[in-house]
Amino acid sequence: MSDHIVRSYDADLEGLRRSLAEMGGMSERMLGDSTVALVRRDTALAQKVITADQRLDNLQRDVEEKAVLTIARRQPLANDLRELISAIRIAADIERVGDLAKNIAKRAVAISGQFSPPHRAVVGLEHMSRLVQAQLKDVLDAYAASNEQKAMEVWRRDDEIDALYTSLFRELLTYMMEDPRNITFCTHLLFCAKNVERIGDHTTNIAETIHYLITGQSVEESRPKLDTTNILVDLPAANG
Amino acid sequence: MLSTLELSPQVLDAQAPIRIAVKNLDFYYGEHKALKNVNLSFRDRHVTALIGPSGCGKSTLLRIFNRIYSLYPEQRATGEVLLDGRNVISNDVDVNELRSRIGMVFQKPTPFPMSIYDNVAFGIRLYEKPPKSELDDRVEGALRRSALWDEVKDKLKSSGMGLSGGQQQRLCIARTIAQKPEVILFDEPTSALDPISTGKIEDLLEQLKSDFTIVIVTHNMQQAARVSQYTAFMYLGEVVEFDATNTIFMNPNKKQTQDYVTGRFG
Repeated sequence: MSDHIVRSYDADLEGLRRSLAEMGGMSERMLGDSTVALVRRDTALAQKVITADQRLDNLQRDVEEKAVLTIARRQPLANDLRELISAIRIAADIERVGDLAKNIAKRAVAISGQFSPPHRAVVGLEHMSRLVQAQLKDVLDAYAASNEQKAMEVWRRDDEIDALYTSLFRELLTYMMEDPRNITFCTHLLFCAKNVERIGDHTTNIAETIHYLITGQSVEESRPKLDTTNILVDLPAANG
Repeated sequence: MLSTLELSPQVLDAQAPIRIAVKNLDFYYGEHKALKNVNLSFRDRHVTALIGPSGCGKSTLLRIFNRIYSLYPEQRATGEVLLDGRNVISNDVDVNELRSRIGMVFQKPTPFPMSIYDNVAFGIRLYEKPPKSELDDRVEGALRRSALWDEVKDKLKSSGMGLSGGQQQRLCIARTIAQKPEVILFDEPTSALDPISTGKIEDLLEQLKSDFTIVIVTHNMQQAARVSQYTAFMYLGEVVEFDATNTIFMNPNKKQTQDYVTGRFG
């Protein structure tokens, strides 16, 4: 990505990549920490995630401003233009990942004093979160290494997370039916699971952006979807 | 370097007929070979931009189209430049007639030291002797088409040299289109102009392309991206890549093209 005739142009683009790397690292940490906070009922760790989100938001604004300024100053074309557009998009996705992790942390605080269902319920979520953390790490590595193939592998793997989310959804429903005291806790867990699943979607967005950045084409084929919870919800209403 | 077979589908499938077809064109300044086997096609009523670093041959190519090079005995071209099927570089072509069909606008405005009216009428009088009233109409029409009429209608008898740089350039465009050419060649038409005048010329190009085939040489990449539908990137006398303008500037196929349009060499 180097060797422009105007060298400060290279510095602009490198600066953006650096900021994005920092944002990516933060978002990975926030997802990991919020999950640990949820599993261990660690409110102090949860608070740390909530505070970190502000810094992530600031970084995103910073990336956006720098990218817009570079467009105005340098009138980029071809891969340089895609580089800047991609930076804006990826920063927005990472910022959303941060928001979703923050929401998990907030729920960790909310359920800290609640009646707790069998520990198994949290294990499923922990497992799903670990998968998504790996996805997030891989897609950010793919961006740093400009590796389109690796990005598309992440993109294809998202169906595993969708499938896991569907099974977790069923599991949590079962706990709620077993014992109504589980409902508050499990509802929070359900939202957390949805948040993790949404973070998975943002990693696929980032993968698509990397594909666009490197090839100049949008991803044409549609991604396999295994999240079927939207059809699971039409429960007894039809009978009543 | 590029043969017609290698052209992208976007260029080959275009609906507009080809007005100028360049085939296997070589050009020499004495011993120096300035163009090497150039193959290009220019679509009717479209703007085609030629881009490339200094010395790549883009202006040379433009100067072949209306045989300016014939003024210099040591310069010669071989191959074909077909204007509606006729090879314009063959010796039996009437150069004056050719230049009335292929007009040219240069980098620096070149108004003649005569009145605004006579500047525009000059081109018409070279080839025709229309009655005064028709001449008036054609001068006015050309000045209107070049977006200059409102600024000069009250001083048609004053000297063309008294106009601003941007106005002079539009006067030259008026002089060119008054001859009713089929093709207009623009050799860096705005590089000596301020941004407002540049904007007016670009706006004009947009209007003119509904009637003329336009070829523009420009060093301003953004300008090529704005005004043209096709772009050829040339380097060291060869056409490296020729494609739809959007492809050249957003997602070129050759790395050399990408490096040039993004400011990595040139």
